[in-house]
Amino acid sequence: MTRTSAPGVRIDDLTVVYKTPAGELPALGGVSLSLAPGTITGIVGESGSGKSTLALSLLNAVQPPGRISGGTVEIDGLGNVVDLQGEELRRARGRQVGYVFQAAQNSLNPLKTVGKQLLDLGRSHDFDDLPALLKDARALLGRMGLDGGRVLDSYQHELSGGMRQRVGIMFALVLNAHLVVLDEPTTALDMITQASILRIVRDVHHERGLTTLIITHDMGVAAEVTDSLAVMYGGRVVEHGPTTEVLGAPRHPYTQGLIRAIPRLSGDIDEARALPGRPPTLGTIPKQGCVFRERCPIRIAVCDTVDPVPVTRDARTVACHAVGQPATPVTPKEFA
Amino acid sequence: MTVVEGMPATVTLRRNFWRGVGRVMRRKPSRMVGVGIVVLFVFMGIFGPLLYPDPLPRDDNALYASPSWAHPFGTDFEGTDVLALVVTGTRYVLLAGLTTAVITVALGTAIGLLAGFHRGRWDTVLMRLTDLQLTIPGLPLLLVLSTVWKFTSPVEMGVVLGLLGWGGIARAVRSQSLSLRERGFIEAAKGLGLSTRHIIGRELLPSMAPYIAMNMLIAVTGAIYAQVGLFFLGVLPFDANNWGVMLNLSVFGGGALSSTAALPYLLAPLLAILLLTLGIVLVVDAMDEIFNPRLREE
Amino acid sequence: MRSVVRRLSGHLARGLAMIWVVMTLSFLIIRNIPGDPVRGQYEKLIEQGMSPDAAERSTAALYGFLPKGSLWSQYVDYLNGLIHGNLGQSLSTPGTGVATIIASAAKWTVLPVLGGTLLSFLLGVTLGVYAAIKRSGKLGDALSISGSLLHGVPQYVIALLVVAVFSTLWPILPSGGPVDIMFTPGFNGPYIASLIQHATLPVLTYALASYGGWILAMKSSVATVLGDDFIMAAELRGMSRGILFRYIARNAILPLFTILALSLGMLFGGAIFIESIFNYPGLGLLLVNSIGARDYALMGGTFLVLTVAIVVANIAADLLYAVIDPRVRKGEAA
Repeated sequence: MTRTSAPGVRIDDLTVVYKTPAGELPALGGVSLSLAPGTITGIVGESGSGKSTLALSLLNAVQPPGRISGGTVEIDGLGNVVDLQGEELRRARGRQVGYVFQAAQNSLNPLKTVGKQLLDLGRSHDFDDLPALLKDARALLGRMGLDGGRVLDSYQHELSGGMRQRVGIMFALVLNAHLVVLDEPTTALDMITQASILRIVRDVHHERGLTTLIITHDMGVAAEVTDSLAVMYGGRVVEHGPTTEVLGAPRHPYTQGLIRAIPRLSGDIDEARALPGRPPTLGTIPKQGCVFRERCPIRIAVCDTVDPVPVTRDARTVACHAVGQPATPVTPKEFA
Repeated sequence: MTVVEGMPATVTLRRNFWRGVGRVMRRKPSRMVGVGIVVLFVFMGIFGPLLYPDPLPRDDNALYASPSWAHPFGTDFEGTDVLALVVTGTRYVLLAGLTTAVITVALGTAIGLLAGFHRGRWDTVLMRLTDLQLTIPGLPLLLVLSTVWKFTSPVEMGVVLGLLGWGGIARAVRSQSLSLRERGFIEAAKGLGLSTRHIIGRELLPSMAPYIAMNMLIAVTGAIYAQVGLFFLGVLPFDANNWGVMLNLSVFGGGALSSTAALPYLLAPLLAILLLTLGIVLVVDAMDEIFNPRLREE
Repeated sequence: MRSVVRRLSGHLARGLAMIWVVMTLSFLIIRNIPGDPVRGQYEKLIEQGMSPDAAERSTAALYGFLPKGSLWSQYVDYLNGLIHGNLGQSLSTPGTGVATIIASAAKWTVLPVLGGTLLSFLLGVTLGVYAAIKRSGKLGDALSISGSLLHGVPQYVIALLVVAVFSTLWPILPSGGPVDIMFTPGFNGPYIASLIQHATLPVLTYALASYGGWILAMKSSVATVLGDDFIMAAELRGMSRGILFRYIARNAILPLFTILALSLGMLFGGAIFIESIFNYPGLGLLLVNSIGARDYALMGGTFLVLTVAIVVANIAADLLYAVIDPRVRKGEAA
């Protein structure tokens, strides 16, 4: 069952809706995105842009009152995750797709030692060789600069935030899953811990040959570790391409705004310009037309009525009427 | 929510509130029933004694009569209509309950606010006192107190019950004001140069009012149970007509537990208590949902 | 470990303070009862021809303090007696120590209370988990409402209804007394059968009266745990259903154990109604009867014992918590 090589992931026209008193509101509106095998993909966006929802969709774990209402998530070796159910889905989680929780500091059962929870995990996935699992865990923790034996004997409250985060990463890797999803893995950590955790993620990624997805709102994190970068806004991927190009020559007006908003250490603080307006919430996402138009500096008439189709040019996907006018005809296919 | 103009905003807020109340009520019709029950009892408490002659007529030919059209719940050992006893007894029960509630809420809120707002030494002393009040076994204490205090009027009864029951609210109010404090609520108000009285009266209390109101309803029920229970045990002199007195006379005097003849006489006050409890439970349930939007199940 | 000791000593200090308050209250009440029973007893003995000295001593043995002297010296005498375990003599059962009477009554309270509480705890906790998981279903709703109702209704209403149903309308079980007097006490079949028969309704009442509280407490506790991040994390790691259930259950039940210990203490006080209705000779009935018989030494003693039960329950709850929660055990804040 377990793959030994990095799987590819193809998300196609994924729609997630949340049930609210005002009816079902879309959190993801037809997202298409591919993760190439063996790469680290980053997803950036403001809070509420649908990043976490997208990450959870990879495990078909969107929490009620949300639900996946359409589209597919194909993972090599697993098939369409949206169709998985019950035991099949449970076994895929953890074993095939490792997930590092957004609040990984609180991702442990407070009443059991880390080691006991690891054994629970092994038993849940029918591991026969539990001592080997413990050994792997100790080795992983050791790589992350922790005393593996001691950590396994500890309760959650005996570990610091950074240590818990690393334990969370260990749990995602120890079953040898080859697709790893990290949802804001470094939020709430100090700069030094953050840097060391990112380094570990990158090293393990290369060593084990993983496909990795990192959700973050921190452009610095994205620039540091990712190969390709997707920018989300209002439940849509508005731009996707190789990280260096997306950051170096952003095409979508939102990406441009985001990058302009970052103050530079060496530069003048006045050069950093915040985006005008506020990101849409679930209830204020426009029903038709471009979701970004209210804050867009290059808005044109068609933006009010037509949702821009993601268009791929030179290995870059952009969803914008104003910049997406292709010089040569292309198929509306997405960067991969 | 940014309130730019004071008046219109509060007006819409209020309108939204009533719309919320309406929605919560409609979602579970049982809650309307709860409000209906509570209103019925309040009506009985206010007008009940006016509906019947005083003293209640006795029918010497119909002692422990079975239920009939004339006496829906039969009659008692003196031939008095049981339903009339229940209805006229409501006033004492509710009056004592209301007095208790007022005292519990006033004392509990004051002590809780004082402790939560001032913290420090005040807090420690007041909370020790609250702990003590909460841990001393209430019912045994009431029984022991009944040897020196005869609780002749409902108000007197309510006062004693209130003095013995403020601990729960005090603790709850304190933790509420502490949590509001933690959210920077009070610091912000202080920073704006508002007086302590203003902060407590205009900022803290309103945000806790629903909470206090719910606790008050619960206090009313608790007080009703306690006083009916005391009369039922027979440790207090029977001056007034009261559900507890009815229970006592039917169980220990009428042998309602050994013969079926006096059973309606026993069941009528029990039914009244059950009904009132049901009403209050349903109203509290509705209030809970109105004031805690998070509980609203979608 | 050190923090557990610190917590424990804090509880102990508070418990002792409470016991002292209750002792003082008892003293003040006995001193201030209309008609001054202590003085009355003394005068009665004198009238019966006893010497003032002997009457004084006899009265002091009864109430724990002399019928003369300053309020303060009486108070000191009274406290001194209680501290040395001397609860005084019963007036209604002459020649018997209050302590002896209380000890023999205690067993009739402890066993049914324990049985009923454990029964309702198991039932309520199990159904509470169900009510939390099926929150929006019909059955979950019904469970919650039944819990609120049973929790809201006072014990005596439940007790009276239980008697009305099971011994008046449908007489299958005895409604009064601890045992049939026709059987010889001892370890023999008929006697024990009769004991159990008589205990059934009181135990059932205790269970019904506390079951609602357990359902509600467990339901809200489970709901809280279900919202905890670590449960979702365990789910995303593909933990099996059984393990997930154990994670939820163990974390949810933890706070309830403390309530369990506390409620056992509280129930001793609550036994008053149930024992009065079932004419069950436990501590609650003893308290009511002592007031009826104006046996104030017995009243004060019973009140004190009920208070001590609560103090002990408080400490037991704290110890229990320290045993089952690693966070407390290892000395962190709970």
